[in-house]
Amino acid sequence: MNKKILYSLFFAIILFAAVLRLWQLGHTPPSPDWDEVALGYDAFSIIHTGRDEFGKFLPVILRSFDDYKPALYAYLVIPPVLLFDLNVFAVRLPSAIFGTISVIAVFYLILELFSEYKHKEKLALVASFVLAVSPWSIQFSRVAFESNVGDSFNILCALFLVKSLKKPFLLPLSAFFAAAGPYIYQSEKVFSPLLVLILAAVYSKQLIKLPKKYLALAIVTGIIVISPIAFNILTDKSALLRVRGTSFFSYQTELLSDDIKKLDRDHATGNVFGAFFDNRRIVYFKTIAAGYLSHFDLNWLFIRGDISRHHAPGMGLIYLFELPFILIGIYKLIFEKFKLQTKFLIFLWFLTAPIPASITTGVPHAVRTLNFLPTWQIFSALGLVFAFIFIWKIKQRILTVPIRYLLVVVGVMLFSFNFTYFLNQYFVQQNYFYSQEWQYGYEQAVDYVNKVGGKYDKIVVSDTNPMDKSYMFFLFYLKFPPVEYQKVGVNSSGSFVSHHSFGNFEFRPIDWNHDSKIKNILYVGPTREIPKGAQIQKTIHNLDGSEAIRIVGT
Amino acid sequence: MKKFIEKKFFVILIVILLTAAFLRFWRTGSNPPSLTWDETAWGYNAYTLGMDGKDEFGRSWPVQYLESFGDFKPPVYAYLDIIPVKVFGLNEFSTRFPSALFGTLTVLVTFFLVKRLFNKSENATQYALLSSLVLAFSPWHIMLSRAAFEANVATFFLVSGVWAFLAGVQERGRFLIISAISFALSMYTFNTSRVFTPLIVLVLVIAFGSRLLKIKKETLIAATLGLLIFLPIFGFLLSPQASLRFREVNIFSNIDIIKTANQEILNDNGSLFSKLIHNRRVLFATEYLVHYFDNLNPLFLFTRGDGNPKFSIQSVGQMYLWESAFLVIGTLFLFRKREGNWWIIPVWLLIGIVPAATARETPHALRIETTLPTFQIVVAYGLFQVLSLLGRLKLKVMSLKINMVIFILFLGICIFNFLYFAHQYFNQYPYEFSSEWQYGYKESIVYAASVEKKYDEIYVTSNLGRPYIYYLFYNQVDPAFFRKTAKIARDPFGFVKVLSYGKYRFPENFVYAKEKNKKILYIGTPYDIPTGAKILKTFKLLDGNPVLIAYE
Repeated sequence: MNKKILYSLFFAIILFAAVLRLWQLGHTPPSPDWDEVALGYDAFSIIHTGRDEFGKFLPVILRSFDDYKPALYAYLVIPPVLLFDLNVFAVRLPSAIFGTISVIAVFYLILELFSEYKHKEKLALVASFVLAVSPWSIQFSRVAFESNVGDSFNILCALFLVKSLKKPFLLPLSAFFAAAGPYIYQSEKVFSPLLVLILAAVYSKQLIKLPKKYLALAIVTGIIVISPIAFNILTDKSALLRVRGTSFFSYQTELLSDDIKKLDRDHATGNVFGAFFDNRRIVYFKTIAAGYLSHFDLNWLFIRGDISRHHAPGMGLIYLFELPFILIGIYKLIFEKFKLQTKFLIFLWFLTAPIPASITTGVPHAVRTLNFLPTWQIFSALGLVFAFIFIWKIKQRILTVPIRYLLVVVGVMLFSFNFTYFLNQYFVQQNYFYSQEWQYGYEQAVDYVNKVGGKYDKIVVSDTNPMDKSYMFFLFYLKFPPVEYQKVGVNSSGSFVSHHSFGNFEFRPIDWNHDSKIKNILYVGPTREIPKGAQIQKTIHNLDGSEAIRIVGT
Repeated sequence: MKKFIEKKFFVILIVILLTAAFLRFWRTGSNPPSLTWDETAWGYNAYTLGMDGKDEFGRSWPVQYLESFGDFKPPVYAYLDIIPVKVFGLNEFSTRFPSALFGTLTVLVTFFLVKRLFNKSENATQYALLSSLVLAFSPWHIMLSRAAFEANVATFFLVSGVWAFLAGVQERGRFLIISAISFALSMYTFNTSRVFTPLIVLVLVIAFGSRLLKIKKETLIAATLGLLIFLPIFGFLLSPQASLRFREVNIFSNIDIIKTANQEILNDNGSLFSKLIHNRRVLFATEYLVHYFDNLNPLFLFTRGDGNPKFSIQSVGQMYLWESAFLVIGTLFLFRKREGNWWIIPVWLLIGIVPAATARETPHALRIETTLPTFQIVVAYGLFQVLSLLGRLKLKVMSLKINMVIFILFLGICIFNFLYFAHQYFNQYPYEFSSEWQYGYKESIVYAASVEKKYDEIYVTSNLGRPYIYYLFYNQVDPAFFRKTAKIARDPFGFVKVLSYGKYRFPENFVYAKEKNKKILYIGTPYDIPTGAKILKTFKLLDGNPVLIAYE
């Protein structure tokens, strides 16, 4: 392929990827979720004080809602916040940028991995295009989910490693991105080391032959970068709390209840095999195996997705259109003459991706398995390229029209249908159907409170479902001075049970029978806590018209 | 190794069959722990057919359907059960006998089928033996062979049909006749086959059309015979009764889908473009795919199985966990090697799910039993490829043959997986799920029969579902007496309710006040006993919870 055409097409794909990720970034999804505002506020707090909301100086791990988020994303948010002020767009920008970087990196990764393939340029273009329009990638490039940056690091790590086989000075870069993984997202703590192992094993022969100084430099880079968080994990037990909290060990009692009954029965009937077969370790193993396998459910992948915030309504994570091409791609990657190392790398990556999520609850989980990307897209691209070449060889005609044209036109139409459907579901329908799941309404609530709040002694905001963690939304939208908040923050906790207060704001459940009698207070609460009969001053509606938040003054 | 297997294939096959028979017949009267109402209906109808050639309600030699509970059962299972009931008496074992027998025979026919599928391959015998072996130990097939599921017999007819068809087109034309009979009978055996059989026959006829034209005589005889057998049921299939079940369970009556589509169009300000992409047909097609894909859910296949404990023990999937890898490998190699009539397997599997995906309850292990034994054949194919690859591996570590180590480890995993299933199935399953099998009826009926003479009437709760058939079954009631004394109600949806026969009453609710001057025995659930009732006996499930209580 002509280099000029190749790179102008590539440039067009990058541009398209960027538009899909940046357009309406602050407005679709319609509202930030609590993790997004927390990351934004922590960035804001670090900008002003060098400390997070709890007063920790330059944290490596953010305590946040006691989920101990790796802190890197908050640091990435700092430049956009400085440029665009603290708002939803700024918080989401790093994710959108790294989503676009992934599209670029995949192009070069394919050129390296398939360097001996005749159609490598076409394949690289198709793969980066498929990733550019991928519902999975777009979904998480358009929210401040750290996982998306993490996956970008994976791709960059692999890209620089493969490149370093010819240009060894790039190896330290690869080590850098591998070591940076655990700073960005929980899953990466498991996946980054596994990816390093895979890369090292697959390319061991070439790596050993690289100049020693670059190898040493890479190892040193890796160790230096990883040590702060490694030190933190080893010394601070709470850093692993999240892992324990989301793994199946957190609901052992339920998990084992059937098993305990079985063991009792074995005991009662004197069954000696029972203790062996009904061992709880087998239950654990089966839970992990089921967690792993759940990520190969076609409905999850192609039609339904998991929870509302992880996909557009009526869409899965991959276009249904891609299904046959993914199957062809897998088949071709196994049986066609490609480099053995490439085959191993892609399949090991693919099979390792669901491992971190397998031990957690709530599987299948689109965010924790985002490191699947770009393997599905590579399969899909391979399938598309092979299918196209196959079709292009068909010389028959129907009524003077070559069949191959017809087939390609039909294919393009099917894809366009699938793609426009996704765009509509994502940009139009999602706002309507899922605004509630995106915790809609706080922006308007804070606006209103700002307007009338001065007249009241105190402002009480509910913090029970669906308004949990409302204090963080208020901190975010009020741009509440971090210095002030840290005074409170040092003594508070981010856990689900604790209540907060700062300034003249108080965050606690509202008991209307009791609270309505206290004078001169502004209440902000969900419909469940503020009854219809109250003197409601302002109601904030979800985008589907249902009531989200009611505001009443006494 | 290969020579040994081919020489001794007969012995190996016999061993596989005996194992299959053992796993299907052993204690099949007591595990599953009791009979469902459908099983009970099969048994009792076989009993009455064997006595006077009439079904329970007195229809002579029913061919199109058994009315039963108004579900219009395809009748073959009842006919097949006549002899077992005559020989072993009317009991759990005899009721389940046909399913276990035809399940075992399916393992045998699978051997012949696979030989025909890969007839040109030099490894055909080994593929065939492995397929039979995998099917013999299949949790899916064992579970469905151990209860009176007509689906399991239909699977036998389908496998026989495809095998005989291939035998017919490959060498012996007359086998086409066996094929035609088998396919036709499958449609008298199980509802799903009524959709599946025409589809698979169509595929086979198109694929082997030119060959069929060459053996015109046999083709003509087979086609005529098949159609002749099919004819009596044809009219019934077009009747409203036949589609009753379908209308009740199908996905296309879901109004929410249309509501969503309308809202989506509204959100786009009703633009033409939006009407195109949010077309309800597109949404229904997607809904269909959801139910189709459900049946391929890896959790359904490999870890927890069908959500209905009648079809899966819940702690093992429809297949063993280790089979997951071989299903993938087998599929890949099937497409890679393209041996013989390999394509029939994936086509069969995909068509097998087509009827079940129109229903709301998916995945459904029973309705897609028509896909068996394709899953097992693919696994066996994958197994063979991996094992032969392993055989060629000449790696040694300290005089230890690595391939033997891997093989023994793998065998250990398979055996462990089977023993795990066996333990769960025989030691835990009956206790955990006896309520799913309507446990308690038999015990209460035996008690009621023993004290029957002391009472004027016996009232039995309908809360556990269709009690009358259990009373007919366990009391071996003379069909003539039942038909004479029974009060039967048929509702507009076609459902049949037997309200009473003889001394027995089966009301929706007990009205205690009405029957003051009679001596009445009540058999009710533990939840609705009136205060002051004299409790005579409590009947418990196998897990110890009470399920029925006899009181005055």
